[in-house]
Amino acid sequence: MAKVTMVEAITMAMAHEMEKDPSVVVLGEDVGLNGGVFRATQGLQQRFGKDRVMDTPLAEALIAGISIGMATQGMKPIAEIQFSGFIYPAVDQMINHAGRLRTRTRGRLHVPMVLRAPSGGGIHAPEHHSESNEAMFAHMPGIRTVMPSSPSRAYGLLLAAIRDPDPVVFLEPTRLYRLNKAEVEDDGKALPLDTCFVLREGEDVTLVSWGAMVHETLQAAAKLGEEGVSCDVIDLATVAPIDFDTILESVEKTGRLVIVHEAPRNCGVGAEIAATVAEKAIYSLKAPIGRVTGYDIPMPLFKLEHDYMPSVDRVLKGIRKVLEA
Amino acid sequence: MRTFNLPDLGEGLQEAEIVSWHVKEGDVVKVDQPLLSVETAKAVVDVPSPWAGKIAKLHGKNGDIIPTHSALVDFDIAGEGGAAAPAKKKEEAAPQKAAPEAQKGTPIAEDSGTVVGNVPTSNAVVAETAIIRKKQKQEPQRVKALPSVRILAKQMGVDLSGIPPTGKNDTVSAEDVRNAAGGSRGAATPSAPQARWDIPAKRTDVKYGVAEPLRGPRRAMHASMTRSRSEVAECTLFDDADIHNWMPGQDITVRIVRAIVAGCRAEPELNAWYDGEKLERTIHERVDLAMAVDTPDGLIVPILRRVESKNAQQLRDDLNRIKEATRARSVSPADMKDPTITLSNFGMMAGRYATPVVVPPQVAILGTGGLRHDVVPVMGGIEVHKRVPLSITFDHRCITGGTACRWLAAVIKDLEKAQ
Repeated sequence: MAKVTMVEAITMAMAHEMEKDPSVVVLGEDVGLNGGVFRATQGLQQRFGKDRVMDTPLAEALIAGISIGMATQGMKPIAEIQFSGFIYPAVDQMINHAGRLRTRTRGRLHVPMVLRAPSGGGIHAPEHHSESNEAMFAHMPGIRTVMPSSPSRAYGLLLAAIRDPDPVVFLEPTRLYRLNKAEVEDDGKALPLDTCFVLREGEDVTLVSWGAMVHETLQAAAKLGEEGVSCDVIDLATVAPIDFDTILESVEKTGRLVIVHEAPRNCGVGAEIAATVAEKAIYSLKAPIGRVTGYDIPMPLFKLEHDYMPSVDRVLKGIRKVLEA
Repeated sequence: MRTFNLPDLGEGLQEAEIVSWHVKEGDVVKVDQPLLSVETAKAVVDVPSPWAGKIAKLHGKNGDIIPTHSALVDFDIAGEGGAAAPAKKKEEAAPQKAAPEAQKGTPIAEDSGTVVGNVPTSNAVVAETAIIRKKQKQEPQRVKALPSVRILAKQMGVDLSGIPPTGKNDTVSAEDVRNAAGGSRGAATPSAPQARWDIPAKRTDVKYGVAEPLRGPRRAMHASMTRSRSEVAECTLFDDADIHNWMPGQDITVRIVRAIVAGCRAEPELNAWYDGEKLERTIHERVDLAMAVDTPDGLIVPILRRVESKNAQQLRDDLNRIKEATRARSVSPADMKDPTITLSNFGMMAGRYATPVVVPPQVAILGTGGLRHDVVPVMGGIEVHKRVPLSITFDHRCITGGTACRWLAAVIKDLEKAQ
């Protein structure tokens, strides 16, 4: 089994699917000859040719738009956006067309495309390369939003996203691209979408996170484990639609919930989780729901980015507050 | 001998793959002479020799992946014997030369896996378990309680798990917690959960399961109601009086009495007696209004005499007298004799409309339901008005529907006056 980084797992998934399914194509800025800004498409053009791995102009609306067009006509495009802050010109296409064509045409057309984009901070890049905008997509009906947190989930979830008959925004935590490696078998096995992954089992408090913050959350859980506090750690994985069954079942067990995300707090995905848990499991809650999140400001310039992103200490503080309530 | 370790190529990458060696063991090399080509995450770069000397040993062959800082080449250097310390400074300089384009700026970033910033990199292999939980069946009872109740329990030092839940949705309620804290009651029945279902206590003033003879007013009621049912052709008409325009301080019962008088002025036929055997009716000028009053002993129907001749204050005084007499059980048979029309003001308890029963020889009875706020259309809009529901039952043997309607219209008209 290959030991691969997350970005290699992403390349592996795309290559696997391109090999298997000729309707899968890759497009984006510098994805061809250059292999992509983060090297996620490294070697794909050499292997599959220029007709299937296409360098596009610097025009995100076009990248999303032609992907939608191809998708409605039987292709399965995987479009890459270079940085999270460059995604906004593509948002119009994603919301107005990708998410709605199935409804608008009453099922005649559907849009089996994936929009891949890096997400989040932690790589000392400018602020519009580092933001977390998953809540924006989560709010939009008709679009799935997925954020992997490990090489194996990147591989399995990207395969599922490519195979899904509807549009998926696949947000890749930049900080995790090369943070570590894991053994991932290139077996073409997809992981289920719309499903949470439980990364650590415990009884005292439920921790829900996704993307890069899963790592800080797991570290906090490990620290608390040394102190005798056991945490149920849930990786949301599919940010929208949310697998509430897993979360509610865990909260009914632990009675305490802390949500950790890097994106700003206001109207973040954490708010939706907190609201639904309050609606459906309030009788099981032993304490107010806690959130540890980024601040409601633009992502700071990179010298301060580590003050912005929840640290293990901040996560611990947030959990302790809920444990002591 | 000196060992040259694979330098950190300045890209934060932790390993490199040997593409090809440019030298072989035994070669004599100069400083900066390319030793080999390695491939990192992106670029293929030449690694130059840090020292002049003879190659003693090459660590690795083409295609091998060499971790950064591990041995790459052993050198025999003239004039040096044994294990001389590597020229550290020189070695550190090497990577700069290894990637000459790095000095121009951007390509070094290209090799780091990004064009901006610095992607954190490590070769650490992590193992993780990721479980997909299947929806499980309901676990055995865990305590369900609102957070506010949990805080209360904490403050009162009560363990929630020992308390039988009686709150909604099987939750432990604040009351449960207080009961448990208050003494043995909660603690004494820890294993007998009671679903909350508020059934009022049994009345003790009633004899259950015993046949008992009807007495007094109930007997009279039996007689009059049976007679009514067998004789009277009853018909009931419903309507409402809108009292939105009432001046403040109106006495509702007094106003209803006056409205009955107004009805009887308009259609006196309802203020009458009818003898069905003789086919005779007697219309009265006086209005002796029977007031149906519910008492524990049964229905008592005292009479307000000559209500057509009284003003509001006199009517109120009479009403108070009746009320007092009823409460004191001092209403005599004479007080209940020969009414000309009846009012049943049942609405003070509950009920909107009814089909009150005419007691012969009278020919009409008015029922008034509870005052209520109704949504009413007003000039194309909607307003909320207070209204009195009215139900008039009349004996259709001697009164036409039209007469009854006109009587009711007159009642409503009077009742809707401002004062």
